[in-house]
Amino acid sequence: MKILLMGHPNVGKSVFFNRLTGANVIESNYSGTTVDYTCGYMSLDGKEVEVVDVPGTFSLDPKDRAEEVAVAMLKEAKDAYVICVIDSSKLERGLYLALQIIEEGYSVIIALNMDDVAEDKNIEIDNQKLEQILGVPVVSTIAVENIGISNVISRLKDAKPVDVDDITARGMGAA
Amino acid sequence: MKLSPDERWNLIDSIANQVVTYGKYRHTLKDAIGELTVKPMAGIPIAIAVLYGFWSVFGSFAGTLCTDGFFVKLFDGYWLPWLQEVFPGKGSWLYSILIDAGGMTNGEFILSNNCFEAFGVLTSGLFVAIGVVLPAIVIFYLMLTLLEDIGYMPRLAVLIDTVLHKIGLHGYAIVPTILSLGCNVPAVTATRILETRKQRFIMMTLLAIFIPCGAQLGIMEEVIPELIGYVLLYLVIGYFIFGFVLNKIVPGKSPEILIDVPPYQKPMIANVRRKLWMRVSSFFKVAVPFVLLGCIIVNVLYLVGFIQWLGDILAPVFVGWFGVPKETAGPLVAAFLRKDLAVAQLSVIEMTQYQMLSAVVLISIYFPCVATFAMMLKEGWKELIGSVAVLAVVVFLYGGIIHLIGKLIGVA
Repeated sequence: MKILLMGHPNVGKSVFFNRLTGANVIESNYSGTTVDYTCGYMSLDGKEVEVVDVPGTFSLDPKDRAEEVAVAMLKEAKDAYVICVIDSSKLERGLYLALQIIEEGYSVIIALNMDDVAEDKNIEIDNQKLEQILGVPVVSTIAVENIGISNVISRLKDAKPVDVDDITARGMGAA
Repeated sequence: MKLSPDERWNLIDSIANQVVTYGKYRHTLKDAIGELTVKPMAGIPIAIAVLYGFWSVFGSFAGTLCTDGFFVKLFDGYWLPWLQEVFPGKGSWLYSILIDAGGMTNGEFILSNNCFEAFGVLTSGLFVAIGVVLPAIVIFYLMLTLLEDIGYMPRLAVLIDTVLHKIGLHGYAIVPTILSLGCNVPAVTATRILETRKQRFIMMTLLAIFIPCGAQLGIMEEVIPELIGYVLLYLVIGYFIFGFVLNKIVPGKSPEILIDVPPYQKPMIANVRRKLWMRVSSFFKVAVPFVLLGCIIVNVLYLVGFIQWLGDILAPVFVGWFGVPKETAGPLVAAFLRKDLAVAQLSVIEMTQYQMLSAVVLISIYFPCVATFAMMLKEGWKELIGSVAVLAVVVFLYGGIIHLIGKLIGVA
C-alpha cells in the first residue's frame, strides 16, 4: 500500500508528511518548497506503509517541472491512496484538484488543513455535508499543531474510489 | 467518467454553496501588516531594512563575534602552534601538506604565524571549515528559516517582480537567488519552481556565476571586510547585465506569474530547529570533505610545481588582461573545489587592493564549485554545457571590464 500526499502548493503537505512518518523534509511558509518527491514510511495496523510527499500542484495539467514530477508520481501509482490536502480557507480551488484525482479513479481522503486560518477568516465548512456529497472521508486538521492527523489515519480505510457521476448527482441535485 | 473544466467548476460552485458559510470578514492587524509589506511604497523600504538587517547580523555574528572573537584566537593562538610543535618532520612533504608549508627566508625555514598562511589540511583546512564557514552558515540559515516560516519570501517576490522581469525571470526567482546565498547546490534544484526551460537556464547560469555562497561570504567578511561591498556590487551589476543579455539571446518564453501570498505565521521553534539542523548538516557533509580535499590537492600541486607552471603559462592573461598577479593561478585551481578556500588563499598573496578586488570577483564568477557542477549536470547536460559556455565568455569579458574600470579610475 502506498499513500500520496497531494494538494496545492503551500497547503502543508510537507508538514503532514513529517508528522505522519516522523521524517524531516523542509517545511516553509511559501509555495514551491518541495520540488522533488520524498518517500517515508509509517505503520498502519502493524504494516509498513509507504508515504510520498509530492510537490504541490494546482491541477493535473502541469505547468512547471515540480508539477510534472507531481503528476508523474500520481500516474505511476495506480492503486495508491491519496490524501488530498486542502487549504480550508480556499476550499473551491482545492476541490478542483481533488475532483480530478477522484475522476482518475483513486481512493481519496480529504484533509481540510489550516483549519485555524479558515477560522481566523470566519469561514465555516460543513464537513459532514461535504463528506456526504463527495462520498469520501473529510477530516479537519491543523497539521503544524498535530491536530487531526490521527483522524486522517484512522479514516484511511474508508477511502474508496467514487464515481464522479454520483458526486454530480448529489452535488447538483440539491442546488 | 471525467468532467470538463467547466462542469467541474459548476459542480464545485454548487457544493461550496451547500457546505461553506462565510462569516463577517474582520480586518486584523496581521492583515494590515501583510498588506503593508507587499505594497511598494511601504514594502520596498521595509524590504531594504530587512535585508540590511540580515546582512548586519550575518557580519557581526559570524565575522566579529564567532570568528574574530573566538576561532581566530583558538586556532592561531593554540591549535596552530601546538600542531607545529608536536608534528614531526618540519619541512617534509607531509608536514607541508598537513600542517604548514611555511616559507624559506635567507635559507631558513620559517613557520607561519596564522592559519591563513599555513595552508595545511589540519590547520587552514579545519580553520576555514569550522572557524569561518560554520558560524556563517549557521547564522545565515537561521535567519533564512525565520524569514521563510514567517512567510516573508513571497512578499519579497512580489516586490522584486518588475525588476526580475527585465532579465527574463519573475519575482519568484528570488527564492533560488536567496537560497543560493546559502549554498548553490540546493538553489540549483529550487530553479524547478520556474516555469520554462529558458527561465531555469537563465536562473541556473546566473546563480552559478554571480551568486557567492554563504561559505564564500563568510570568508570574505573575514579576510577582506573593507572590500566586500565592492565585490558584491560588481556581482549584482553582473547579475543584471548578463541576465539582461541572456534574456535577449536565449530562446523561449518568460511567462507572468500569479502567486499566493500566504498569511504571516509565527515560526514554530521545533520546525526552525529541525530545518536549521538539516540544512547545516547537509551543507557540511558536502563542504568539509571538499575543503580538506582541496587543501591536499592544492598543496600537492604546489609541491610538484604545477601551480607555478600554470601561473607562468597564464601570466599574459592574468597580468595583461585581468590585471591580477600570476600567483592567483593557485587559488583559481582551489576555487573549483571550494571558493571559500580559494579566497582564504588569495588573502595571503601580495597585491594591491584593486587587484585583490578583481581577483575575488574572478574567483566568484569563474566556475561553480564542483558540488554545484554535479547538481547542474543532474538537471540536464545541455543546460550545463550552455551555462559553462556563457561562463567562459562572462569571465573573460567581465574580468577585462573590471580591469578597464580600474585603469579608468586610476587604481589598477
